[in-house]
Amino acid sequence: MKNRYSQIKNLKRVAFSNTVDSIVSLIIISIGITTLLTLSKWMIFSANWSVVSINLPLFLFGSFPNDQLWRPGLWISLFAIFSLITILGPQWSWLRKSLLLLWISYGPLGVFLLAGGIGLSSVESQNWGGLTLTILLTSCSAIFSLPLGIALALGRQSTLPIVKNLSSIYIDVMRSIPLIAVLFFGQLLIPLFLPVGLEIDRVSRAIIAFTLFVSAYIAEDVRGGLQSISRTQKEAGEVLGLHPFQITCLIILPQALRVALPSLTNQAVGLLQNTSLMAILGLVELLGVGRSVLANPEFIGRYIEVYLLLAAIYWILGTLMALIARHLEQQLTLEKKDL
Amino acid sequence: MPPIIKATKLTKSYSKGIFALDNISISVEPGEVLVVMGPSGSGKSTLIRTFNGLETFDSGQLNVLGIPLESQNNEERNIRRIRKRVGMVFQQFNLFPHLSILDNITLAPIKVQKRKKMEAEQNALSLLSQMGIASHAKKYPSQLSGGEQQRVAIARALALKPELLLFDEPTSALDPERVNEVLDAMRRLAEQGMSMVVVTHEINFAKEVGDRILFMDSGKVIETSTPDIFFLNAKHERSRKFLNQIKNK
Ligand SMILES: Nc1ncnc2c1ncn2[C@@H]1O[C@H](COP(=O)(O)OP(=O)(O)O)[C@@H](O)[C@H]1O
Ligand SMILES: [Mg+2]
Repeated sequence: MKNRYSQIKNLKRVAFSNTVDSIVSLIIISIGITTLLTLSKWMIFSANWSVVSINLPLFLFGSFPNDQLWRPGLWISLFAIFSLITILGPQWSWLRKSLLLLWISYGPLGVFLLAGGIGLSSVESQNWGGLTLTILLTSCSAIFSLPLGIALALGRQSTLPIVKNLSSIYIDVMRSIPLIAVLFFGQLLIPLFLPVGLEIDRVSRAIIAFTLFVSAYIAEDVRGGLQSISRTQKEAGEVLGLHPFQITCLIILPQALRVALPSLTNQAVGLLQNTSLMAILGLVELLGVGRSVLANPEFIGRYIEVYLLLAAIYWILGTLMALIARHLEQQLTLEKKDL
Repeated sequence: MPPIIKATKLTKSYSKGIFALDNISISVEPGEVLVVMGPSGSGKSTLIRTFNGLETFDSGQLNVLGIPLESQNNEERNIRRIRKRVGMVFQQFNLFPHLSILDNITLAPIKVQKRKKMEAEQNALSLLSQMGIASHAKKYPSQLSGGEQQRVAIARALALKPELLLFDEPTSALDPERVNEVLDAMRRLAEQGMSMVVVTHEINFAKEVGDRILFMDSGKVIETSTPDIFFLNAKHERSRKFLNQIKNK
């Protein structure tokens, strides 16, 4: 009771402390309520959600073979389970310590579940799609671009001029090219560089292009983290007789990555959203499914329903990622504090 | 026994014309505690940091534990050979904030000396109880007071079983009431026969624990005396002036 009273008082202080504040607050609140009412009225009475309910498997799994749907289904459920575990913050420290490993193995596990092999029938990547493909593109690109980005950041600080210059040039060039161009090049040029007879599918090409692009940005974030670590940490490692490589891996990087974590999260959320560009380049990920559904005469004109659904899914995914990152961050520091 | 450190005519200058080290010759015998004193900027840190290769020097000869250090371009491996046998404790502790106290101490024994984790941890725990902070083993550096952190830093240096310990103003960053717990730990090490070079302004420690006092000013050795002589009737006018200054603080 008292708590609610103080909440009201707090609200009063934040929003209605003087006349101007009150007027602005009232305007904002009324616009918000009107929008919400209109939207919900439309969603309940005018919308025709059959476009969503009929196509739900398509949105989730693309055109994955019907009898194998449990595979992407399992994989997406694992995403939900991992997220839940991370956000709830398990009490068992062994689980807390393996969370990072769990997330790192998530992408490769997806490739295995989708592509098949070792007991699972193989499914061509043309049949991957929808939310499954979106998560796959995001998680695999993230997994590959993180080590590449770290390597580039370290390369940029190298004392070897050739390594230093190559890393710098790579980072600067990549950061000045629009992503869509890199993705185009990825689809068109990568096949040219491969030896005759070796072909890689569109999904892999997209992952390579995303990896090449995002790693340049990650490199800059990591460099910021590296610069924030005091030189004396390196000295402390040196006087213990540690090898320069050990100093980097055991002392500098773990601290730098923790500093860089918030900006790395931004990169990951950005990556998630940017995977939708692949819809233009012929992959039927989430947005691609939306476009192909809308192209079906049966659902003509159901734009708002479809795009609302897409917005909601991206919003949920993005929020989840931010939450997960925040909890990972907390748990990394929690290990320090709660002992 | 040969000296642990033998320095002959060491010079170094960071910028032209100003010498951080000016023709310094000094030797440290096994089991000796050499206390280095001198005003700020006199080259104490530079000197002690050349002993384990953190700083290079411009000319002169330096030999640490029988391993010669060249004035420039030392082989990385040679320097590491020295560092494995010489511990160092910094003014700002420089613990690794992302590692627990125990991991701070066992990192080098495991990674450098390739010792078994179990054995390294047992050794670390016994060092911690020797320092009177065994109950903090699972904590992180940020949870400890300055004095406790510095004792962890000493334990970390000891974990490699060094033959020589270098201290660069180990108590200067501590609250006054925390200074003695660190000095006491150092005193016990000296009693156990550890060879040490200690940069400090703590007069009582220098008097009671030091075997010799090295007084520096402007990169030069002004005098090297036993504590009795240095604190009662220092040979040099500049030493007396300096002593007056720190006594009046
Ligand atoms: N990294 C450095 N670059 C340039 N000058 C330095 C550096 N380190 C020390 N010096 C200079 O060398 C002299 C000796 O410094 P230092 O050895 O730190 O003295 P102390 O430890 O006795 O206070 C000082 O004049 C200082 O300004
Ligand atoms: Mg100094």
